[in-house]
Amino acid sequence: MTTPAVGADPAVLDVRNLSKVYGEGDTAVHALREVDLLVRRGEYVAVIGQSGSGKSTLLNILGCLDAPTSGRYLLDGLDVANLDERQQSVLRNRQIGFVFQSFNLIPRTTAFANVELPMVYAGISRRHRRERTLAALDLVGLAGRADHRPNELSGGQQQRVAVARALVTGPALLLADEPTGNLDSQSTADVLSLFDGLHAAGRTIVLITHDSEVAERADRTVVVTDGRLRDQVGLRS
Amino acid sequence: MSSVEIIRFAVRALLANRLRSLLTMLGIIIGIAAVILLTSLGNGAAQYIQGQISGLGANSITVFARSPGETAGSTAGSAARPLTSQDAAALGDPQGAPDVTYVAPVVQTTTTAAAGRNSENATVIGSTAAYFPGSNSVVEVGRAYDQADVDQAKPVAVIGRTVADDVFGVGSVPTGRTILLNGAPFQVIGILKYKGQGGGLSNPDSNVLAPITTVQSTFTGFGNLDQMLIGSQSTDTQAAAQSEVESILDRRHGITNPNDRDYQVISSAQIAQVLNSTLGALSALLAGIAAISLVVGGIGITNIMLVSVTERTREIGIRKALGATPGAILGQFLVEATILSALAGVIGVGIGIAGTLIPLPGGFRAVVVPAAVVAAVVVSIAIGVFFGGYPARRAARLRPIEALRRE
Ligand SMILES: Nc1ncnc2c1ncn2[C@@H]1O[C@H](COP(=O)(O)OP(=O)(O)OP(=O)(O)O)[C@@H](O)[C@H]1O
Ligand SMILES: [Mg+2]
Repeated sequence: MTTPAVGADPAVLDVRNLSKVYGEGDTAVHALREVDLLVRRGEYVAVIGQSGSGKSTLLNILGCLDAPTSGRYLLDGLDVANLDERQQSVLRNRQIGFVFQSFNLIPRTTAFANVELPMVYAGISRRHRRERTLAALDLVGLAGRADHRPNELSGGQQQRVAVARALVTGPALLLADEPTGNLDSQSTADVLSLFDGLHAAGRTIVLITHDSEVAERADRTVVVTDGRLRDQVGLRS
Repeated sequence: MSSVEIIRFAVRALLANRLRSLLTMLGIIIGIAAVILLTSLGNGAAQYIQGQISGLGANSITVFARSPGETAGSTAGSAARPLTSQDAAALGDPQGAPDVTYVAPVVQTTTTAAAGRNSENATVIGSTAAYFPGSNSVVEVGRAYDQADVDQAKPVAVIGRTVADDVFGVGSVPTGRTILLNGAPFQVIGILKYKGQGGGLSNPDSNVLAPITTVQSTFTGFGNLDQMLIGSQSTDTQAAAQSEVESILDRRHGITNPNDRDYQVISSAQIAQVLNSTLGALSALLAGIAAISLVVGGIGITNIMLVSVTERTREIGIRKALGATPGAILGQFLVEATILSALAGVIGVGIGIAGTLIPLPGGFRAVVVPAAVVAAVVVSIAIGVFFGGYPARRAARLRPIEALRRE
């Protein structure tokens, strides 16, 4: 990652006038309507909003998993639309950790192999992968479940495997879609303190949540309403 | 991502989906094994028939007695005349039949052949020395009877291998010993080389060959001939020899319409022709069945591969989201398809070749065609890789989120 000019208050995520429309004609759904968003390096941003308001759509575009219908998205100053398939894959692999709302673990594959996967694509040696995978699983409290397959894990455990997988490469940008949605208060607290640690270490975090307590840990909260964004003010503790 | 990792992923994925892997392999295994078995059977049949053709005797023409009216369109009423020694003598006259090189008159009868306590049925064929080349009978041990034996009606016999085995014991060499044919003692002077089933239409290994004069005086009487074996110089002159034979016999038997003939002439060329066309039809049939089974197997592979990739589109989406490049995705699926196809290919070849070792009734055996083995393996693997690779290529190009949304 290239370091921006010192003191320029660099924007890692720079979204301008971005829209996303699903479908066409009568059935078209305007999931995002001309939104703007700036996230600075090291910022911890919470995204809240009602179900169906467009939060996941926004996060998918930020994670280069989907492309906007119109508007621009610069990641670290780079227009993602100009990158080809391969370059986008490498970008996702090296820069971004993504926790899916629906976990998206690979079925019939152990927790260990799932967490190890992004490091395989990064070309990290087997010995290092092993160490880091076990460390990441330990971090989310699943050291004893390394050999379990997703269908042998509870919903909360699957979610924690997904978190471990997103953290294991030490990405500069962590995008998490309701990472605590299935967790009890103790696990939620554990995961959130993990995020706090990453935040303290200078990582940029964008996190979707329904939980105002979770949102309170962030520097800033953005509210999505029917495809539009606004900053939430006045709730800062 | 290194190729070692790609192979590890492929193997892991195959093991994680054992049933599907097995079903995919089954299609390939059945296809390959079927092709190998069918082509081997066709090849075996071909060799069997070729053996029969070569066992016919080079350039020989056989004349059988036959009553007229056995063919359609004959004018009924004319009395059938048998084949006689006079007929044979007339055919042997170089003046009338210049293309005929020899005439071997044949009488035959079925007797018991016995020695000691053993007794077996055998066909006794009485003829002249020309019978040996004419019927492609080769004496392996001892000697053939000669013209002197015929002239003096000596009680000597040349016996087939099966007769020797049955009467004197397996593998025995009973030259010089006495064999009783219907009780009449004959001295064994020679043993014929084993022909197997590939020697004409009856089993030549169960024959006992003896001078015609001896057979006539001992068994059949000096009456009519059963057949005549007639030689020609070469295949080229066989047709000429055949028409000379026909015109002489027509004249001697007073026949004006060929439909009324009281004899039948078959040349080795004609039999070979019939057998060859049978063989051609058989080979075409088996090749057709083999092609169909390969196509059916191929459709099976294609089906499972398509289902497999569709079913795993979500997995492809996850891998892409985590940073797998399109090349890494495609590589994994291609390696999976290749491992499956190659493994199935090996098993299919094994089963196919093992199947050809199963003994078949009728004395012929399946003979593996190496080219068919190679073709079956190459085609199956190509199908597996192509139809595994094609949907994978499509899936690898999807945007991650689209792949993830597929059910
Ligand atoms: N693939 C799609 N095709 C059509 N419409 C879609 C698609 N994905 C999402 N939508 C629609 O876009 C809108 C925004 O969806 P999105 O998933 O971003 O909501 P969300 O804010 O994440 O909701 P939740 O809190 O329930 O996860 C919804 O109205 C949804 O129905
Ligand atoms: Mg959502």
